[in-house]
Amino acid sequence: MSAWLESLQFVYAPQVVNGLSLGVAVILMALGLTIIFGLLDVINMAHGEFYALGAYLGTSLLLTGLSFWIVLVLVPLVMLPVGYATERLLIQRVFHHKDRHILTLLLTFGMAIVLEDVFKLIYGPNSLKPESPIQGATELLGMMFPTYRLFLMAVGLVIVAGVWWVVYRTRLGAIVRAAAYDRHMSASLGVPVLRVYAGTFAFGVALAGLAGVLLAPVYSVFPTMGKDFILMAFSVVIVGGLGSIKGAIVAGLLLTQVQALSSLYISPVWSDPLVFGIMVLVLMFRPQGLFGRLGHG
Amino acid sequence: MVDPTIPAPRRRAGLATAFVVLALLAALAAWWTGDTFYLRLATEALIFGGLAMAVDLLLGIAGLLSLGQALFFGFGAYLSGLLLRDAGLSFWSVLAIATVAGAAVGLVSGVIAIRARGVYFALIMFGLAQIAAKAVYNVQALGASDGLMGVPVVRIGVGPYSVSASDPLSFFLVVLVVIMLMYALLAYLLDTPFGRNMQALRANPLRLSFLGFDPWRYKLAAFVLAATIASVAGALYPMLRGFASPELLYFQTSGNAVITVVLGGVGTLIGALYGSVILFGLKSVVGTYTEHHLIVIGLLFMAAVIFFPSGLVGALRKKK
Repeated sequence: MSAWLESLQFVYAPQVVNGLSLGVAVILMALGLTIIFGLLDVINMAHGEFYALGAYLGTSLLLTGLSFWIVLVLVPLVMLPVGYATERLLIQRVFHHKDRHILTLLLTFGMAIVLEDVFKLIYGPNSLKPESPIQGATELLGMMFPTYRLFLMAVGLVIVAGVWWVVYRTRLGAIVRAAAYDRHMSASLGVPVLRVYAGTFAFGVALAGLAGVLLAPVYSVFPTMGKDFILMAFSVVIVGGLGSIKGAIVAGLLLTQVQALSSLYISPVWSDPLVFGIMVLVLMFRPQGLFGRLGHG
Repeated sequence: MVDPTIPAPRRRAGLATAFVVLALLAALAAWWTGDTFYLRLATEALIFGGLAMAVDLLLGIAGLLSLGQALFFGFGAYLSGLLLRDAGLSFWSVLAIATVAGAAVGLVSGVIAIRARGVYFALIMFGLAQIAAKAVYNVQALGASDGLMGVPVVRIGVGPYSVSASDPLSFFLVVLVVIMLMYALLAYLLDTPFGRNMQALRANPLRLSFLGFDPWRYKLAAFVLAATIASVAGALYPMLRGFASPELLYFQTSGNAVITVVLGGVGTLIGALYGSVILFGLKSVVGTYTEHHLIVIGLLFMAAVIFFPSGLVGALRKKK
């Protein structure tokens, strides 16, 4: 019995906590993706590059001597107009075609290619690692964990709760949900739909940028960081249901736990194929994902 | 006014002929000047053009955006590398096996992938290719992250003669023949009732089923064809470069094929080959000025999507 307890404490608990900290990070990315898809029907292939942009901006600002906490607030604020302009100047140009799914996917894919190479041009191909603003470790359940990771989980949870509150409990959220459900009807009722679209896109992009700053001290900053991370976020969004906020949260926790715990039994290199395998199975048998999309039910 | 009842490939027979003539002229020029570098690059452009042709068959003809066509390209490349290195098979038997095996893998993944529609199809292909890429990357028997090394130079028997794949000019001509044969086969197929029904998939799949045809079958047929073409094109790659690497299966390879198709013109098939040559040419020209050629290519691609969306959309499945 005590051996079982010990394995629970020293083998499973650390994996669960590590999985949770990755899970919170993935959920921040997945939230932006899923909100953008839910409202605009846009698969944002450049979402990972916006995450990287946030991380690079954060790193640059930190080098000017600003404190981490100011940077943490500043970067999302800078990302908002970037996202707004992207939606207005680029996405809107192909938005009103019948095949906007595929056209916007291709367009954001082009943006991802350009951004990634711009990062290489400005910052070089090597990885940077900003110093963690919270040093040291904290004891939890008899195990030591880096304090910054625990902080990350707490902040992530607050943000997720905040997004949920805004979308489901405020007038602004109601407007967004209404526009997602029926944009023509919302426009007739006086909702400035185009501005809501651009604003929502900007919000999703800002979330990605925030995730970039938060995770920079943990996973370091390099030009392809977005690409490596976005695959997981895509899997989460698809399993949870494209356009579903609840789905992104549940699937985000689920898939990162699958990844963390499966690596106890199989070689960790196979946990990625396992997660993608789950994604493919969901696409085959339940393409709408576990939960319905934003504004629908 | 374009006659919509005539399939695009027949309307573009002139473009296909021009492509072959230009390729032969380029080969002549290379022979004259004794160049090997650009000839090798042109051969690579043709091989990746074959992959793009497969993507165009799905996107431009059947209306399916594949974000994971590199899966079949990489499969063909690894299969060919293994057969050449460990079984010592001849060029033609490797191509024959790559055709049959590519079709078989296409059939299995097709049954999985075409359950999903539209953007979900794109994502399921993305996922499938990603699983395969991660698997290949981690399997020691396939060389893991280093890739499959040491593929021997193959001799290609043509009747009583034989040429070596290490001779740039001969191999360029062989690849040209293989790729153009696949193009000709597709162009012919699209002109048959079977091919017309395949094109009806993007025009109006509902009406296709009203006429008593099963859209699922035609979708699967297009998918298997595209997988086979990508596999054969992939099989040529290790013969050119002497290795197969996991990068061949990565999203970058699939994405590049999509870029090629959009730059070359969706739904034309021959546009994929032109697009590939343009893309390789662009990379090599811009590459002499800066290593950041992807910025230029990405911007061009975005411009193509923004400014020629009707060309693109017209070729995609119409959705009301």
